[in-house]
Amino acid sequence: MIKTAQNIKSYKKQLKEALQDKFLGTALNNFNKAYRENRPGVYEGIEFEAIKRDIAQDKDAAIPRLLELFEEFKSHAEEAGVTIHLAKDAHEANQIIARIARDNAVKHIIKSKSMTAEETYLNDHLEKKGFMVTETDLGEWIIQLRHEGPSHMVMPAIHLSRYQVGDLFEKVTHQDLDAEDIDKLVKVARKELRPVFLKADMGISGANFAIADSGSLGLVTNEGNMRLVTTLPRVHVALVGLDKLLPDLKSALKILKLLPRNATGQAITSYVTWIKGANECRNAPQEKKEMHIVFLDNGRLELSKDRVFAEALRCIRCGACANVCPIYSKVGGHKYGHVYIGAIGLILTLFYHGKENDRAIVKNCLNCQACKAVCAVDIDLPFLIKKTLGAVMDEDGRKPIKNQLLSKVMPHRRLFHFLLRQAHLAQKPLARKGPMIRHLPHFFEKQHGFRSLPVIAAKPFRDRWLNMDTGVKSPAYAVSFFAGCAVDFIYPEQAEAMIKLIKTWSVKVMFPESQSCCGLPALMAAEEETAAKLAWQNYEAFQNTASDYILTICASCASHIKHYYPKVASQAGISKTDMAIFVEKVIDFSSFMVNVLNVSAEAFTTGDKKVAYHAPCHLCRGLAVTEEPRKLIEIAGLTYVPSADEEVCCGFGGSYSVDFPEISAEILGQKLDNVIQSNADILVTDCPGCVLQLRGGMHKRDSAMEVKHISEVLSEQLKKC
Amino acid sequence: MSQEPLAALMANKAKAVQAIVEEMTSLEDAFHYFLNLTQKQGGRHVAAAGFNSKEFESLRSLCQHESLNLLPPPLRGHAGKIHTAITPVEWGLANTGTLVLNSASEDVRLATMLADTHVALLPVSKIVPDVESIEKDLDDILKTEPATYLAFITGPSRTADIERVLAIGVHGPQALHILIMENDAE
Repeated sequence: MIKTAQNIKSYKKQLKEALQDKFLGTALNNFNKAYRENRPGVYEGIEFEAIKRDIAQDKDAAIPRLLELFEEFKSHAEEAGVTIHLAKDAHEANQIIARIARDNAVKHIIKSKSMTAEETYLNDHLEKKGFMVTETDLGEWIIQLRHEGPSHMVMPAIHLSRYQVGDLFEKVTHQDLDAEDIDKLVKVARKELRPVFLKADMGISGANFAIADSGSLGLVTNEGNMRLVTTLPRVHVALVGLDKLLPDLKSALKILKLLPRNATGQAITSYVTWIKGANECRNAPQEKKEMHIVFLDNGRLELSKDRVFAEALRCIRCGACANVCPIYSKVGGHKYGHVYIGAIGLILTLFYHGKENDRAIVKNCLNCQACKAVCAVDIDLPFLIKKTLGAVMDEDGRKPIKNQLLSKVMPHRRLFHFLLRQAHLAQKPLARKGPMIRHLPHFFEKQHGFRSLPVIAAKPFRDRWLNMDTGVKSPAYAVSFFAGCAVDFIYPEQAEAMIKLIKTWSVKVMFPESQSCCGLPALMAAEEETAAKLAWQNYEAFQNTASDYILTICASCASHIKHYYPKVASQAGISKTDMAIFVEKVIDFSSFMVNVLNVSAEAFTTGDKKVAYHAPCHLCRGLAVTEEPRKLIEIAGLTYVPSADEEVCCGFGGSYSVDFPEISAEILGQKLDNVIQSNADILVTDCPGCVLQLRGGMHKRDSAMEVKHISEVLSEQLKKC
Repeated sequence: MSQEPLAALMANKAKAVQAIVEEMTSLEDAFHYFLNLTQKQGGRHVAAAGFNSKEFESLRSLCQHESLNLLPPPLRGHAGKIHTAITPVEWGLANTGTLVLNSASEDVRLATMLADTHVALLPVSKIVPDVESIEKDLDDILKTEPATYLAFITGPSRTADIERVLAIGVHGPQALHILIMENDAE
């Protein structure tokens, strides 16, 4: 059955196996791509952003009053002849359902798809109690026959090829089948399951909505099996998570606008069914259906009271967070979740299936923000994943060495910077004279060799700054520069290029020297205390400079400062307003050039170079800056050539690329293939982390394509005065 | 207000999800269409639900004439036999090509779920722009009926569970015909 790795070592072994599954890789990659490409068409005329916020508000209003809504639901449903149960945990839910089956002399049970039943391992329990249970959703039937868990919340058998399904169905039907023909395989399910439907005594379904003010359920499906499951047998049991409770039909209809679109790219599914009360059922006593609804708590009520994690209860199980996840598309759901998979799975697993099952998988997140951008209920998934990682480590009561180091070193800027300077000396023998480390030291394993690593700069930016001529007569703008570690210590030339460039537009630059790491690496490692300390330090560092903007050339730093700093302001006694003023000033390089300086083509020479662009996750999603960098490339006299999947992560993710080198390498490889296919001369991006990953990958391939920070190409294109 | 643009939108959206849409001017035409379709597909047993007794009788005599067997209610005893089923529907939602059926009657459910082909009669006057247009009506049904089974049906049953390839006709009807009925057709 479901075997989720309980430690990182066995997890990595599983990941390696998954990466070798060629069918899986191709199938999920195509899925990821098709999903993203179809999405704009699916949402034509639909205001996704506005509706998702509206739904999130409805959900946030419902979550604190789930028990109240439950009572309201119960009174209406009971009036309509339904028996309502509330199960405190998975075991109790399973027991209740087995008891209903026994009390009604049930033998055969048919089921329609229910993630909640997967959550409680209901089938195992019922089978142990001697009932015959048949899943009737095609995907669920397939995985039931294979004794597997679902690998996707909406398409449970997406990990299987038609040939694997064909082999399975040959065993079931004892007939030769043409597995090439998927239509025929589907008809096998229709034919084989129809008699099972007709003889079943009890049907079990889930529900997408439980509407409190009428006591009715809403179910969103495609195959038609759920309609049969809830109609043919004389007993119907619906197993419903308490989080599915909504006050009224109106809120359900709002969700219905996004759920099918987000899940399967449909405007609406084939069937949406609203069931209230014990309906007519001619093979039941009194010709009325014996109907039960089992509401499942299993940690939901506790979660609903959690200030941070309650947001996870908004989830409507559309599965989109897996669809767009670059990691899911490489390793599949069986390696990217426990029962619940995808980004939301990394979070919910801790609460519904315990820390053992979450310990390894929760580390596997790039923080690329792709899931957050598609979430239909606006859950800050990457942030909650890091919070979950922290909670797992707290429960485990021990911290990995990486975390111990982070928390000891990073809050002390001088020590941290001293160590970075030492690193330059330490790597000297490995680097010889070039900008790349020639040989990885032997304590790195060979899977880390997928990209060349840069050397730490001999002289960091903060030292070079002291000798820079930054004088500007009658400045048009005064900006404070936030460098970030990668620029300061690895790529100081990117900052020099930028400063030289904006001087042309009479911008006065200041560099508050007590600034430190933005804190994102600490947050990624769930070292929240350290991340918060760094936020406060940086806030302080910029208080004495009277600047119009705080300029960055690192998208990750900028996005982290804007989104995270306000979350931790109050703990240090920084007022909301003061912090808002601070983060409002933070601006990325491209936006500054295009929207503030309004730079025009006259300032640049024209060249015939073709430029491909990689959109950093934290710029295109983190800061929603998409047009400015591409515009800037054109303004600077270069030709921007589009390449496939520009907004897909490069696979860096800070220490992610060290923790999961094989996955990082896969994602990077695909990115580089796309860029090379564009026939560009240079690859440009605007985040030093992406430069590190992309340049290292190109170097490793011995590719002639240069990888540059946008500040560097712009400064090269500047007309000489 | 003219229903024409709504009916056209309804038809387009329904066709986009593999429904077959035709216009009919009388109930008799619709019944003929239904019986022809059954014969073309080589079906023998047909079901009808949601009609008044006069309508049901007229269909039955047409069936006799065509040597088709109109299964007598209740349908539960014939669950394995239904080849084609015909039912009226309450509303059409134009923006998604969706049919809305109050299926509290078990026969309506069995007919629309078990048939290989479902033929649905939609009065043109009952086509509304979207679900919000009938939200109040639906809410009233859910709140006031002692028990109800409200179905939104959009195209035939479908799956993409094997390699994400769309396949039509899994457990529900393999074909859905929507007959848009002119206003005086009832």
